[in-house]
Amino acid sequence: MATPALSGAPPRRRISLGIDTLFLLLTMVYLLVPLGATLVFGLSGNSLFGTYQQILSDKDFYRTLLTSFELAVAATLLSLLLVTPTAYWVQIRLPRLRLLLEILSLIPFAVPAIILSLGLLEVYGSPNLLTAILSFGLVPLLSGPPFVIANTPPLLACAYVIISLPFVYRPIDNSLRALNAVVLTEAAQSLGAGWWSIFLRVILPNIWPGMISAALLTFSTAMGEFTLASLFGIYTFPNFLGQVGQSDPREAASLSVFSFGLTLICVLAIILLVRRQAGGANRDRDIELATVK
Amino acid sequence: MSFLVLENMLKYFGKVTAVDHISISINKGEFLTLLGPSGCGKTTILRMVAGFEQPDGGRILLDGEDITQSPARKRPMGMVFQSYALFPHMTAEQNIAFGMSMKRLPPAHIQKRCRELLELVDLAEHGRRYPHQLSGGQQQRIALARALAVEPKVLLLDEPLSALDARVRVSLRNEIRRIQLQLAMTAIYVTHDQEEALAVSDRIAVMARGKVEQIDQPEEIYRNPRTAFAATFVGTSNQFKGTLESAHEGLCRVEDHLFHIPPQHTLSDNAAVLVAVRPEEIAVHSLDEASSDPLNGHDNHLEGIIELRTFLGPFTRFHIQLGEQKKITADVPSRLAHGYLVGQQVQLSFPSEACQVLSLDTTSVVADPILEAETI
Repeated sequence: MATPALSGAPPRRRISLGIDTLFLLLTMVYLLVPLGATLVFGLSGNSLFGTYQQILSDKDFYRTLLTSFELAVAATLLSLLLVTPTAYWVQIRLPRLRLLLEILSLIPFAVPAIILSLGLLEVYGSPNLLTAILSFGLVPLLSGPPFVIANTPPLLACAYVIISLPFVYRPIDNSLRALNAVVLTEAAQSLGAGWWSIFLRVILPNIWPGMISAALLTFSTAMGEFTLASLFGIYTFPNFLGQVGQSDPREAASLSVFSFGLTLICVLAIILLVRRQAGGANRDRDIELATVK
Repeated sequence: MSFLVLENMLKYFGKVTAVDHISISINKGEFLTLLGPSGCGKTTILRMVAGFEQPDGGRILLDGEDITQSPARKRPMGMVFQSYALFPHMTAEQNIAFGMSMKRLPPAHIQKRCRELLELVDLAEHGRRYPHQLSGGQQQRIALARALAVEPKVLLLDEPLSALDARVRVSLRNEIRRIQLQLAMTAIYVTHDQEEALAVSDRIAVMARGKVEQIDQPEEIYRNPRTAFAATFVGTSNQFKGTLESAHEGLCRVEDHLFHIPPQHTLSDNAAVLVAVRPEEIAVHSLDEASSDPLNGHDNHLEGIIELRTFLGPFTRFHIQLGEQKKITADVPSRLAHGYLVGQQVQLSFPSEACQVLSLDTTSVVADPILEAETI
C-alpha cells in the first residue's frame, strides 16, 4: 500500500510481511507433518507397493470398510430424516420448544460413549415396563423377535445418530433461521401449497447447505467411531485398524493414512455436490444488482 | 351485499386483547386500509383473514361463505408480505408460477400467465433473475405478481412498502393502486403510514388498541374525525386540551384562552374536550399586520415566538412557542412566508370552523402530539 508523499519525495511502498501466508503455512505444517510422519513410519521396512498390497489383500479390510461405510451412510440418512423435519416443525409451530431441543441436542456431549452403549444394550437387551411405557411400546417390539435389535448394526447406527445430534441439529437450525422459514411457509400456504409441498419444494432446497454440513459431520464421526462399535461387538474399520495396530504398527500406520484419504475423498465429493446443488441460486451472484427503478 | 365481512372478530394473545370485537364490511373491488400504530391489531386482523391466525371469536364471511375454519391454503386470498417472502432458490418467473403449479394448471397456461403478470408489473425482462439480483422495489413487484397469479378473490397486503426507501415507496404505492383498479381487485392493506393510507384507499379503518376508531373515506376522516385518536393520528394537528364553557355557543376554555369552536350539539357544558387544529388552517401575521386588522376575519388569535422555520417547497412550516410549555405548528404557503424570521413575535389566527372538537372521556386514546412527518 502506497503512503502519501511528503515534501515532494516519491511515495514509499509498505513491505507486506505476509503474516497471513506464514500462519497458513505453519498451520498446514502442524496438520500435515504428523500425517506425513505416520506415512513414512508405515512405509519403513517395506516399499509403498508392498505395504498397500499387503493391506488390500486382507479380506477383513474390505469387509470392515464396507461395514463402516454402510453404518455411516445409514446414520447420516437417519439423522437428516429425523432432525430436519423436527427442526422445521419446531420453528414453524412450536417455537417455545426450540430451547428444549437445543438442550437435548447437546446432551450427547455430556454422555460418554461407554455409558451410552451400556445404556442402549441394557434397554434393548432387557426391556421392562418403564421403558415400554416411555417408548410407547417401541422398545419391547424391537427387542423381541423378529427384530432382536440389541448388539446389531441397526442399533449401532441409531447410536451414531445420537452422538451426532449436536453436529446435525445446529447447522440445520441455523439454516432455517437464516431462511426466515416462517414467512416463506406462510407465503407458500397463501399460494395453496400443502405441508409436503412446502417442505420439499421451498424449505429443503434452501437449507441444503446446512444439511450437507450436518451430513459431513455425521459421516466422518461414524466412519471413525471406535468405542461404541467395540462395545456392541461389531467389527468396523476403526476396530480393524486397532487390531492391526496391535500386531503390526507399521501396517496400522499405513492403514490410518489410507482411512484418512478415503474419508477426505468422501467429504470432498459431498462438498462438490453441495456446490452443484447450490449453483442454481448462486450462479449469478457476481452479476451486478439491477438499479432501483 | 358486502363481499367480505368480518363479524365481531376477537383475538387474545395471553392477557392482551389484540382484536376487540371488530366488525368490518368490505365491498367488492374496494381498497380498504387498516391504519394504526404498532400493536393496534391491524396485522392480526389481516392474518386472521389470511388464515394464519385462528380467531378466538367471530366469523369471516367471503361472498356469503363462512371461511373462518378454512386453512390458509384453501382460502382464495393472495398475500404480499412486508419482507417480500420470495423463494430465494427460484427465479422471478418460477416464483410467480409457484401458486399455479400448486393448482396443477397446464404448463402452457402457466407460462402465458407469467408473461402477462411480468408485463403488468413492468418487469417483463426480469423473469429469469433470482430475488437477490433484484432491487427491493422489483422484489415487491414480483411478490405482487405472485400473489395475483392465483387469481385471488381478495388481495392482502401487510405493510408492503415499509422495507423500501421513500422514493420507491411513493412510486410503488401508485403502481399497486393502479393494478388494483385495473383488475377491480378487492384489497385489504395494512400500514402505519397515514400518508400512504390517504393516498391509495377507498376507505380507511383507523385503529387503536384493538378497536376501530373510525372507518370512512380518507377525506372524511381527515376533515371530520370522530374520535380524538383519529384526529391526532391521521394528518398532522395541533392539540389543545380544554373544557367546554358553552357547547351551544361554541366556546371552549383552553388554559388562558377562550377558543371559538363550532357549536357542539352532542357534548354538554364542562365536558373535557380535545381541540385539534390542522397546521394549514393557521394563518401567521406580524404584530404590525395584527394591529392594523385585529380580527383578520378569524375568531381565534394567539401570540407566540417563531422557534423554527422549515422550508418544505410549496409550504413553509413554522414551529411557534406559545408561553412556556406549548408549541404549535403552522403551515403557510411559501409565497406568503417571506419576512417571518426565527425569534420574531407573531400573531396566529384560525377560524372556528377549523377546530375539530373531540370528546376526551376516560377511554379516549390520543396519538402522540404533532407527528413530525415533515412532508407535504
